[in-house]
Amino acid sequence: VSDPLGLIGLRSGAAAAPGMLHRSAGSAKSNAEGPGFREMLERELAQVNRLQEDAKIAAEDLASGKRDDIEGVIAATQKADLAFRMLLGVRNKMMEAYDEVKQIRV
Amino acid sequence: MYGSLDIATSGLVAQRMRLTVISNNLANRETLLDAKGNYAPYRRQEVLLAPGDPSSGREMGVHIAGIEKDDGELLARYLPDSPFADAQGYVGYPNVDPVIEQMNGMEALRAYEANIAVVEATKSMISVALQMLA
Repeated sequence: VSDPLGLIGLRSGAAAAPGMLHRSAGSAKSNAEGPGFREMLERELAQVNRLQEDAKIAAEDLASGKRDDIEGVIAATQKADLAFRMLLGVRNKMMEAYDEVKQIRV
Repeated sequence: MYGSLDIATSGLVAQRMRLTVISNNLANRETLLDAKGNYAPYRRQEVLLAPGDPSSGREMGVHIAGIEKDDGELLARYLPDSPFADAQGYVGYPNVDPVIEQMNGMEALRAYEANIAVVEATKSMISVALQMLA
């Protein structure tokens, strides 16, 4: 039985299956390790923001004549565009999942 | 994720630099004097490319290692009245052959287009991957 939230082992009681409880406690602990979803999202947001800033600075430098490699400016703009679309895709997917959860009757 | 975009960008910069040097060669085809006004015929230049990118430490991509002077034989023109003529009446003119420069220019243009095609391919690959998400 797959138990992503670690709820099945907790509900089955300590006397019924101590081995299972033990295992679920261990897996819950391993789930808690590593960066959480929130940290991951914040990191990705910061990276997208950095790419947007890079593209903005590059475009400003090109317009003011500080640099003349139009290719690098276009590449920075493309990167920012793709990263933002990726973030938007993740956001839309998350909202979809949230709406799905909202439909559940309790 | 953006590896091929950066590599293609380095190729675009390198090919544009090549075309810059070729245009400099063509512009100086008849140049006999140096900046100080002494007789020193212009020597054709060539861009030397090397793999990698030392500024960011990446192994992939291309960068300009240097611009080399072509010390080949000057083109002799019979101009006995010129102040720069030698004993036989010949003046050494820059070793720039417009046909070769034109061919190199076309090659640089095609290589630039190839790198643009790589950028487009990378963009469409990422776009298709994003469609999977949406």
